[in-house]
This record gives sequence, C-alpha cells and structure tokens, in this order.
Amino acid sequence: MKHFVAVIVFLALAHLSGNAAMASQFFPYTAHTHVLPNGLKVIMIPMDSPGLVAYYSVVRTGSRDEVEPGKSGFAHFFEHMMFRGTAKYPGNVYDSIVTSLGASANAFTSDDITAYHLAFAAEDLEKVIDIESDRFRNLLYDLPGFQTEAGAIYGEYRKGVTNPFQVLDEKLRDLAFDEHTYKHTTIGFERDIQAMPEAYEYSRDFFRRFYRPDNVVILIVGDIKPDKTFKLIERYYGGWEKGYTPPLVPAEPPQSAERSTEVTYAGKTLPILDVAYKGEAFDPHNREYVAATLLDDLAFGETSDLYKKLYIQEQRVDALFTSIPANRDMPLFEIAARIKREEDVQPIRDSIYAAVERFQTAPVDAQRLAQLKKRRKYMFLMNLDTPEKVAQRLAYIIAITGGIEAVDALYAEADKVTPDDIMRAAQKYFIPERRTVVTLKGDKQ
Amino acid sequence: MKSFAGVCLLICGLLITTTIGESAVKGNNPVLLPVKNDPTYCFRIWFKVGSQNDPAGMEGLANLTAQMIVDASTQKHKYEQIIDLLYPLAASYEATVSAEMSVVYGRVHRDNLNDYYPLLLEAILSPAFLQEDLDRIKSNTLNYLQNTLRFSSDEELGKAVLYTDIFSGTPYGHIAEGTVEGLNRITLDDVKKFYAAHYTRDNVVIGLAGGFDEALVGRLRADLMRLPAGKPRSVPAPVPAALKGFKVTLVEKDAPATAISMGFPLDVVRGTTDWYALAIANSWFGEHRNSSSHLYQVIRETRGLNYGDYSYIENFPQGGMRSHPPQNVCRRKQIFEIWIRPVPREAGHFALRAALRELKHLVEHGLTKDEFDLTRNFLRKYILHFAPTTMERLGYAMDDRFYGISRGHLTTFRTMLGKLTRADVNAAIKRHLQFGNMQIAIVTGEAAAMGEELLRDAPTPITYKSPKPDNVVAEDREISVFPVKVAAENLRIVPVAEVFK
Repeated sequence: MKHFVAVIVFLALAHLSGNAAMASQFFPYTAHTHVLPNGLKVIMIPMDSPGLVAYYSVVRTGSRDEVEPGKSGFAHFFEHMMFRGTAKYPGNVYDSIVTSLGASANAFTSDDITAYHLAFAAEDLEKVIDIESDRFRNLLYDLPGFQTEAGAIYGEYRKGVTNPFQVLDEKLRDLAFDEHTYKHTTIGFERDIQAMPEAYEYSRDFFRRFYRPDNVVILIVGDIKPDKTFKLIERYYGGWEKGYTPPLVPAEPPQSAERSTEVTYAGKTLPILDVAYKGEAFDPHNREYVAATLLDDLAFGETSDLYKKLYIQEQRVDALFTSIPANRDMPLFEIAARIKREEDVQPIRDSIYAAVERFQTAPVDAQRLAQLKKRRKYMFLMNLDTPEKVAQRLAYIIAITGGIEAVDALYAEADKVTPDDIMRAAQKYFIPERRTVVTLKGDKQ
Repeated sequence: MKSFAGVCLLICGLLITTTIGESAVKGNNPVLLPVKNDPTYCFRIWFKVGSQNDPAGMEGLANLTAQMIVDASTQKHKYEQIIDLLYPLAASYEATVSAEMSVVYGRVHRDNLNDYYPLLLEAILSPAFLQEDLDRIKSNTLNYLQNTLRFSSDEELGKAVLYTDIFSGTPYGHIAEGTVEGLNRITLDDVKKFYAAHYTRDNVVIGLAGGFDEALVGRLRADLMRLPAGKPRSVPAPVPAALKGFKVTLVEKDAPATAISMGFPLDVVRGTTDWYALAIANSWFGEHRNSSSHLYQVIRETRGLNYGDYSYIENFPQGGMRSHPPQNVCRRKQIFEIWIRPVPREAGHFALRAALRELKHLVEHGLTKDEFDLTRNFLRKYILHFAPTTMERLGYAMDDRFYGISRGHLTTFRTMLGKLTRADVNAAIKRHLQFGNMQIAIVTGEAAAMGEELLRDAPTPITYKSPKPDNVVAEDREISVFPVKVAAENLRIVPVAEVFK
C-alpha cells in the first residue's frame, strides 16, 4: 500500500479556500490578508492551537530563478546563508535566540520556492518577527563564512548522491529540458557546487535581487490575533525597501520527438524506469491541467489496474509512483517504476504506455472518479490539524501564485472534472512528442 | 502570558488524558486519549512482540508477520479489495515493528469509521496468510536490505551496523527487517506460528484517541477478546558485551564520502531522573537536526565538513527523515550514539577525532551555567513540538505504558526541567557517559587505507578552501592529534555486500 504520490500533498490544497462560503464548507479557518506599501504580503490564519504558532517566510524564488550559467543550486545555497546572521543578530546570536525560544526552525528550497519556517510558542511572536525581519532586511556575512557554508552544501550533496532517485532526477531534467532552468535539480550540478566558494559577490547580488518585500509573503498560522499581529509586521517590515527584479527565465522550446537514455548508478539497485512528459504550468482554471492531477491517481495509483497487475498480481515492481507537480512553469509529469528484473524494463515501459492509451481512448469509470474526489475531501479534512501542517500546505501555492486564492479556484475546478476531461488530459499531455524516458541501472549486481 | 498558559494547557492535556488511561486500567488495559473536538479516531494496537522475539535463524520474522497483517489479504477480502475499500476513506492501517514492539496503527475520519473499523479488525483477527502476499512482502524487504540499505543511504547503513555490533549476540543483535538468510528461510508456516504465539488477547494493548466514545472502547475491547488466549514467554533485556577501548567496523563500499556512527550501551531509560538529566546534556551536545547542537556547531557550522552532527540517548530510527523523536520504538536497553553525517573521505578521521574530543570535554567538564540555562529554556518549549497531533500524543501515551511513566513522559520532562540543577546534570554525565570505550561504525571508500590510519593513530591535519580564524586553526591542531588508538584486533573491514547477510 506504499503508493507514493508526490502530488497528494498538493492536492490537499485543492480544498482550501479563501472564500468565506467555501471556508464554511471545507476549510475551518479564515485567512486575513494585507499588503504593505512596499509590496510585502502577509497572510494570517488564526486557528485553535493553544499557544502554538507556525511562521513561514515564503520567498517566491527557487532553483527556477538560477538563470546564469554555472550558478545552479544557488537558491538553495542562499537558503543556508540566511542563517549566517546580521550586524544586530550575528549567526550565533540568531541561533541562540531560536534556541532560547525552543522553536522548531528550518528552511527548504525547491523549484519555485525558498521557505523559512519556525514553530514556536505564541508569546514569542514578536521576537520571531524581529529576528526574521532583521535577517531578511540586513543579512550580513563575510567571505570565510560564505566559503565554510559552501562546504556544508557539498556535504548535503554527498549525503543525497547515494540515493539513486537523485541520480535519476539529475539526468532526467538535464535531458528533458534544453533551455528552461528546470533543467537542473534544486541542489544543482556537482560542478557548480564545487565552484560555489568563488561566487561571493554573486551571492550578495542574489540577495539584493530576490530578497525583497515584493517577492516575499509572510504566512502566520495558529494562536494569533490578526490585528495585533499585523501591527507588528508593519513595524518590523515596513521600512524594508522594495526592488524585486524578476529574472528572465528562458522559455523552453517545444519538444518535437521522444528522448531517452540510460544512466548508471554507482552502487546496487533494482532498475528504475522513469517515463516523464512535459506537462503544464499550474493553472487552477485550466480544466485539462486539473484533470491531469486526478488522472495520475486513476491511471497509476494503488487502485489502478496497472498497479494491481504489476505490484500485487505479477509482483514485477516493488514500487510504482507518479508526480504531477504544481509549478510556475512547465514541469515534468512523471511515472516511475522500480523493477525487479532487468529484462522487464521494456515490457513494463510498454505497459505504462498501454495504460496511458486506455485513458486516451475510453472515459474512466465515473464511480472511480467520484471515489477519488471523496478521498481528496477526507485527506484534506484529516491533514490540517496543526498550524505547521496548514502552513506547509499553503506555502507552495503561495510561492507559485502569490496568494491562497488559487486554492479555491482549483478546488472548484477539480470538482467539475468529468471522465471526458480526464480523457482529454491524457490525450494532451501524455504523448510521445512530450516524452523523456530514463532508465537507471546499478553498476554492481 | 495568555499564550504561554495555552502551552501549559496542552501539556496538562497530556497529563489528564494519560491519567485517564492509567487510572482506569492497568497492565494490558486500554490507553485512552479523548480529544473532544478531534473529528478523527486514532488507533494504535500494540502487541508486545518485536524483533527480539525472532527465533535464531529467522531474523525478520516479527516484521514480516506484522506486514502480513497490515499489507496483505484477510480471510474475507483479497489485498486488492482492501485497497479499493480503504481508498475513498482516505484511510489506511500500517504497522511499525521495532526491537520490543509491534504496533498496528491507523487514523480515520469519524464519517468513515463504520467502513474502516471492520477492515482494521479483520486484518488483526483474521489475516489470510497467503503465499503470494508473503512472496511480495519478503521480496520488498530483501530489496530494502540488499539494495536500499546497503547502497542508497550510508547514514542509515552506518547506524544499523552500529546497533547490530553493540548488541551482537543478544536478541537486539539484528535490525527489525532481519537478515538476508533469515528472510530467505522463513516460510508461511513460520509466520502463522509466530502470529498464533504472539498476537493473543493477553499480549495486546489497545490505544485509542480522538473523538471516540465509551461504546467504541467497549466494542474494540470485545472484538480483540476474540484473539486466542496465550502469554508468550518474555525475553530478558539484552546484556551487551562490555566495550574495552575503541572497536571499529569499517564497511567498505564505493562511497563518495565517509559516514560515521558511534556509541556505547547506556543503562538509562526514559522515566528515570538520570534520563532527564542526560536529556539536557544530550540536547546541548547534539540535539537532533538542530543548529543548537554543539557537535553541529563544531563540525558543520565552524568547519563546513558536512551537513550535520548529532547525538542521542534513545533509539532514533530514520533520523534523516524526521525532525522529532519517533513513538513506539521503546527499548529496555538504549545506547548513547553520535551521528556524523557524511564528510569528505579525507576528513573522516579528523571528524571522528573532533567528535570524540568534544565528548571528552563534556564528560570531564560538564555543562557551564550558561549552557545549562540555555538548554533548559530551549527544551521547556521545544518538547511541545514533539507531539502536536492526536496520533503522536497517543504514541507517547503508549510509550508511557511501556516505561511505566504514570504522569506521562512529556509532562515529567517539563517537571524535571524545573527541578534538575546543573550539578544534577553534570553528575549524571559523569555516571553514564564516557569517551574511551566506543563502538564505531564507518561506511567509507578506501576502507583499508582508513583502517591503516586508525591503527597508526597518525596526525590528520586538515585544510580548508577558506581561511579560518586563529582559534579554529589552533583547535584544529589539537583535534588532528587527538588520540583515538585502535588495537588491530578491534578493527575489522566488512564489504558492504556482507552486512545483514
């Protein structure tokens, strides 16, 4: 029953709503949104969470924004640098404050987002706003500190590179994309990570360009009073100077034919097959896109014929999973299988194609579609029980769209999806001209 | 201060609910955690069996049996049908198996209880035990051991080797997933016999949390009474061999970096005063995935050698995947453990020395007043993050039953943070921690060369890509010659293909 669907976390979002009417039906919390004159947006969601608050600073910049050659991985690197401190609160002082608050703090980066998050006791809200606003406005680090952190990044790369899925993802993106920055993973190419210690000046420029109020959204969820909280936000962030400069992310030229390759993993693994299709940017009003987010579960999820055949009945794969991500630009829609015998790679690839074809030529059973909609509803209801979970689910959609309004639209659209829509999505996206296939095999068997 | 009161309420909530579970029932009676406004029901059905109960030569049997309950057919439904039935409920049930516990757990929205409950019960009371399910689960587990654990996460591999080395020759001497030979030997009949012996009504503890009512408690108790009677023989707590000096296992593999785990047996478990004293010391020294960790500051933050460095006084599986401690992995015997995330091969020996040197300093000098105060204040609030959900709180309540903590662990933790003094903490450090007798697991390339370096105990000077402050350079000189003398008979090199064999 371990069907890993990356998109599920996102799908839960589909049921959130900034609309009061929808909120009463699906989302038990009300969002209070304000925008400061400098462009900083703050979204506050009070919820019954005695004494606990989750605080997210969402920077709408991720590895997508790494447009300069040789600078892949920099958004993530910069996420690390944000912990190096300011003149007011040097890194060790920042750390000791977070420690004294007993906060659970961390950060993450992916294609379209860099997010900094803390969970803490409500009484510490002002202190958190103080230290977070300070580092976003006044980050200061020297060259040796910068170069030391580059070592930690390389350590993170080394930690991950033993994972065959990281090796596969690196190859897949590189092959599928020609121009767009989704060509590289968030951690970046190893050669670029090696060169990071030399990019101190670039890093300062990166901060000036992207860490601006008009590119950041503050999301606060939990035991808060919106009016009082907003006053604090105004006081601490009000003087932050706007000036975000969007990067010129190159458009990806149309793909004309299927691409495929094999990649070798330095270790022992079952072969992994990844069949990826160029998808489409997140658009909650695009019926075909929304239908694709349901198609993935219907065609390849654990109740699908393919999953039952390959995983349960014939036991030829030990994992089958999909990803229909929500991205600012066109991502890859992926179907991946870990296959028990090497000679099965081609037949299983053909089985995946056949499953796609079935969904292209015949509408899905309406009852299965209804069951999926029911499932999504309960997944939503059951996974919003802490401020951190609510904030985490909203952070991505904020990074992609700048707010949470799209969530409502997405939910409304998903509810309207019909079996014919599913068929049209299969016909639009899952075609050979959009396809890149990568097979990973271990070098030790 | 209102919100701080709210924080206290949350903690007190733990106390009240745990007290209900404890006072109303004893021994195998239910652990109940009512949360009125929670629209879900959380189940944790604990069977007092774990990998310590695996018969010799059948390592992995407890885990396989649990998976055959939660991830396979029942007498009423085929596995595929169960998946279909659970699907619209957005619910599932799974099992976690550790050395001493097997817990079947699941969560469902109240709207779907009537569809979910019979499936959960069926799984526990009438598993089908089909050969096809065993083949699938066994194959997946073998793939985990032979490929995933050996090759794709050197950190988890290092930790698994450390535990199996320390507890070698005891019932804790293998990981829950078992060994390749053990798994290959296990038949369907073995699973059936193991289930019959251990999944009995005398060996089960019900855990229930959320918006349930008394009727559901009664129903669940009555239903589980349908399990056969039988009290399995208890397994004595393991007695690991005493460590003398440094014992090193180098796992040789074609690795791009060097992952290090080390530790020694610890005679302290949760619920005792010394555990809470050590928890303060350990939090300062190596709080998991937290920049407050002193080891993290020394190895990662100051020197940039890796991604993180932490320490533990309790088993903490899958540390790379979680931020806070897991539940339901209780043990009567723990280890003190240091986890050094992968460092460049050339810095492996240096990082090992750096960590041991810091441990020596901790043992000899304890915490300063500032360190003690900071850590105590940190933990007072930080432990709130350990159990924000009803499911996690139920997990802690089950663990309280295991350790016999009537007031609840997190409540006791908070109380002890108010009571313990720096002197208490430093005395506990002296009583329980040391730096000279250590089991060390190193996953690395060039294992032979690294073994040679360790045997020679030769200096390991280090260079960086960027200049370091004078104090760091001076400290590096001391670290590079810090003695970690390993005797030849205490060092072994194991090819990765041989581990968990």
